[in-house]
Formats: sequence, structure tokens, C-alpha cells
Amino acid sequence: MRNPSSLKQEILKKWVMGLQICSSSKKEMTILERKKAIKLSADIAMASARNASKYWSRALIANASKQDENKALLDHILGCDLEKIKKKSSIVSIKRKKIVLRSKKILKKRVKNIGVASYIAKRLVKKRTQLLKRLVPGGESMDELSLMEETLDYIVSLRAQVDVMRHLANASMHLDHKVSSSMDQMLL
Amino acid sequence: MSSRRSRSRQSGGVSRITEDQIGDLVSKLQQLIPELRSRSSDKVSASKVLQETCNYIKNLHREVDDLSDRLSELLASTDTNSAQAAIIRSLLM
Repeated sequence: MRNPSSLKQEILKKWVMGLQICSSSKKEMTILERKKAIKLSADIAMASARNASKYWSRALIANASKQDENKALLDHILGCDLEKIKKKSSIVSIKRKKIVLRSKKILKKRVKNIGVASYIAKRLVKKRTQLLKRLVPGGESMDELSLMEETLDYIVSLRAQVDVMRHLANASMHLDHKVSSSMDQMLL
Repeated sequence: MSSRRSRSRQSGGVSRITEDQIGDLVSKLQQLIPELRSRSSDKVSASKVLQETCNYIKNLHREVDDLSDRLSELLASTDTNSAQAAIIRSLLM
């Protein structure tokens, strides 16, 4: 199992890189723009911390690269890896779609032999699998097995991302209080 | 990992062999989700694990969104105060 704190360090490092790029390009930002920049930097950092070894991370980066305004940020964090990642993600999605079609045909044949209760259970699982596919980046073009594997990795990365962001938010808040309370003390 | 997948494709029955693998992954997922970790693996159905997984991911997405909001406000407020701005800006923005 990966070292969780090294994952967090990778995410923090790349997130900070992204934030610095965002602030250097635009002097004045609305709160909404700043929020989008923070969130996007965090997502790209989370994806690239996995070194594009996972399908979800490549899908996340490929989706972000579709918008021109994100180009500078992606180039800064990923560098020349960006083109490789985009190529890799487009090839794999085609292959996976073929596997999905084949297994759906086999499933339909087997359903006729199963009893009602397990049929309903399978449909419930199918429905929830569809939901999960929409939540995991690139999930739509994954077969069930890959979806489960990718979900495991995605959840671990999401947790690391949340931890990093929470620590920074708390640290900033405490800094806020310390500086303002010490300033109050100086003025009194 | 890839060798296991190619073996299952060769034998023809995609759903038969991969059900064990999926079961294994479902129990691993169950360990990750705080809601389900305390329960034993026999009692929780696959559909329940999937449902809780979806909820968990949605919650994590929401947390990221809320934290982004908080951070953008925190960084905005430091614009007015030069001491805080200097410290935090030197770290990030």
C-alpha cells in the first residue's frame, strides 16, 4: 500500500504550483474565479500525484484540457506529460467500450435462467453501478472490474485531497486569528 | 492484474470468473468506507456497498467544494490586511 503522507505531500506540492500560476496570470480575481482556480488546481494536483497511472486520473486531466483557459495551469503542473496522457486516455477508452459491449450480451443471456429475487438484486446492483460510473472520472467507458479498482484508488486520492485542503484552510484560519489578535494587542 | 483478466477472457465466461474478483473488490471497498467498516463482510450486500460508495464520493466532492469556498474567502480577506497577505501569499498565492 502506498504511503498516504507521501501522496498528500505530492498533492500539496502540485497544488501550490498550480495556485502560484493562477495568481501570477491574473492580478484581480473575483471570489468565484478564485474558488474555481483553487478547486481546479487541487483536482489536477490530485490526478497528477498518481502519475497518470490510473484511468480516472487521465480522464480527469483530459476533461480539464478540453477548456482552453486551463492550458497554462496544466502545462505548468504536468509539463510534457500532458500530451502523452491525452493520447493514452483516448486509446484506452475505445478498447474498454468493446469489452463492455461483449459482457452486456453475455449478462442478458444469463438473466433468463435466474430467479426473481436475484434478478431484482442484480438490477439494483446495475443501477448503482451506473451511478458510480457517473461519479468516477472516465467511469462511463469502464467495465465493472476496472470501475471497482479505479473507485478504490479514486476514494483514497479524494481523501488525501480533502485532508490537504482542510489542513491548509485551518492553518490559514489560525494564522488569521494569531495575526489579528497580536495586532489588536499591539494597538491596545 | 492484466494476466488475470486475459485468462478470464480466454475461457469465454466473462461474468463467471470475474464475479469472484468483483466480490474481492467489493469487500475492499467496504473496508474503505467509514459507514460500513464496522460491519462484518457477510452481512453487507453488494448493492449496499455500491450505494454507500456513491454517497461517500458525493460527500467528498461536496467537502472539496466547501473547502474551496472557504479558502477563496480566506485568501480574499487577506487582500485588505498586509501582514497576513504577506505571510499567506509567500506560501501560496
